Amino acid sequence: MNAIAKPRPPISNRDFDFFYRGLSERRLLVQKCWECGRLRNPPSPMCAACCSLAIEYVECKGEGTVYSYTVHHHPGLPGFSTPHSIVLVELDEGVRMIGAIAELGDPASVIGARVSIEWTRSHDVDSFRFVRNV
Amino acid sequence: MRISNVAVIAGVGATDFSKNSGRSELRLAAEAVTAALRDAGISPTEVDGFCTFVMDNNAENELQRAVGAGPLTFFSRIHYGGGGGCGAVQQAVLAVAAGIANVVVCYRAMNERSEYRFGGPTAGAPTSEGVVAAYHALHGLQTAGAKMAISMRRYMHETGARPEDFANVSLAARRHAAVNPAAFFYKKPITLDDYMNSKMIADPLRLLDCCQESDGGVAIVVTRRDHPAVSQRQAVSILAAAQGMAPGTFSLMNYYRDDISPRDEVALMARQLYEQSGLSARDMQVGIIYDHFGPAVLPSLEACGFCEPGEAKDFVKHRNVEIGGTLPINTHGGQLGEAYIHGMNGIVEAVRQVRGESVNQVANVHNVLVTSGSGVPTSGLILGKL
Repeated sequence: MNAIAKPRPPISNRDFDFFYRGLSERRLLVQKCWECGRLRNPPSPMCAACCSLAIEYVECKGEGTVYSYTVHHHPGLPGFSTPHSIVLVELDEGVRMIGAIAELGDPASVIGARVSIEWTRSHDVDSFRFVRNV
Repeated sequence: MRISNVAVIAGVGATDFSKNSGRSELRLAAEAVTAALRDAGISPTEVDGFCTFVMDNNAENELQRAVGAGPLTFFSRIHYGGGGGCGAVQQAVLAVAAGIANVVVCYRAMNERSEYRFGGPTAGAPTSEGVVAAYHALHGLQTAGAKMAISMRRYMHETGARPEDFANVSLAARRHAAVNPAAFFYKKPITLDDYMNSKMIADPLRLLDCCQESDGGVAIVVTRRDHPAVSQRQAVSILAAAQGMAPGTFSLMNYYRDDISPRDEVALMARQLYEQSGLSARDMQVGIIYDHFGPAVLPSLEACGFCEPGEAKDFVKHRNVEIGGTLPINTHGGQLGEAYIHGMNGIVEAVRQVRGESVNQVANVHNVLVTSGSGVPTSGLILGKL
């Protein structure tokens, strides 16, 4: 295990602030176009389908299916111990989202596995990670 | 304005490739640029354009001052790091074809191993790209290797590619490098056991799947084919030069489009290369396929039409991508085996293959396709005989 203590606070701007505010309230938010209703992720100031600037925010349940993954071994990561597993998840609401995962489990069955989120807080940084459903 | 066969690469130059150059980046750039100009038989005072791509730290005006270049009428810098190498050459082609400049030198010179490290965790600024990087870094996704690994893991799931298939790319590169005195892996071929036992960097990417941080410089001189210094023997025609940024292309994190493998941007670029040149994949005798990570070569081969989607794993079997195979690739050893000069050393190898000067020379080379970095907005070239 190679642990590096200090995580970096997320770098944000006016397009992404809602997401981190959501995490601090333990809400996983994604953008929804107010005009045409499309969800989008990662955040963006405009709807790519209709060019609307009007945004509403939808709270996701945090449940989904693993689309792909990696296990990071080298080099060391600020704020994480290694090896560190990361999954790309298709949330049930229909957008993909990256997150760490607590226990990867059987590598052969990771893709397609059902996962949910649990909330985390480390060095004053609010976040979440996925866990495999039993 | 057609650009095919209007401009040539009149000369190429490089420094030694090492883990510690012992000299400044600007000096490496100046050495490479003047070597390329000597190769072309063109004086530095005749240079009126410079092109590079981001992450190079050498300012155009400082390079102008260092080598004694003439008044510059064109200077341009392409974004997206390793995706931009062939794009810098495209800029040069556009400039000379439009008559904006006559002699444009494309360059890359970095001490990316000895002065700083490359490919590690990065912290950003709150720019349009920085906030996207931070959004992923929050979960520990912070290195180029881990970002590419997620795409390649899905590629394995969809195509059935196995670690042994990735090994074929890695072994071929080291076999080519083993006879190249300029390469890190000179006289150091690797075995399948070496590959399978090399440490995991970001699953499924192993150490021997990764290019290596390098110190070194490369330069390429572009001018019109009717420039008086251009000789039939020396010059190589630029038959096509294209860029590609498919919708949904992030910097190595193309996770939000249908196909998350590093393929769409390369396909968009390659389609233009074939349209511009009137050639097809079958007309290529050699490929220089960007190998920041060896496994990424597989989807690139598919995107360039050398094989069907999902079939690259079979294509690289049985030494098909080595000398004597159907399409030798990365005959200098690639960035896995020679050095990681962000694809610029690969363009130089393509020039050598057309000239007949490679250490792993392929017989009867007429056309060579070159790709820049995949998984990011990219670019490419077709070079051929004048």
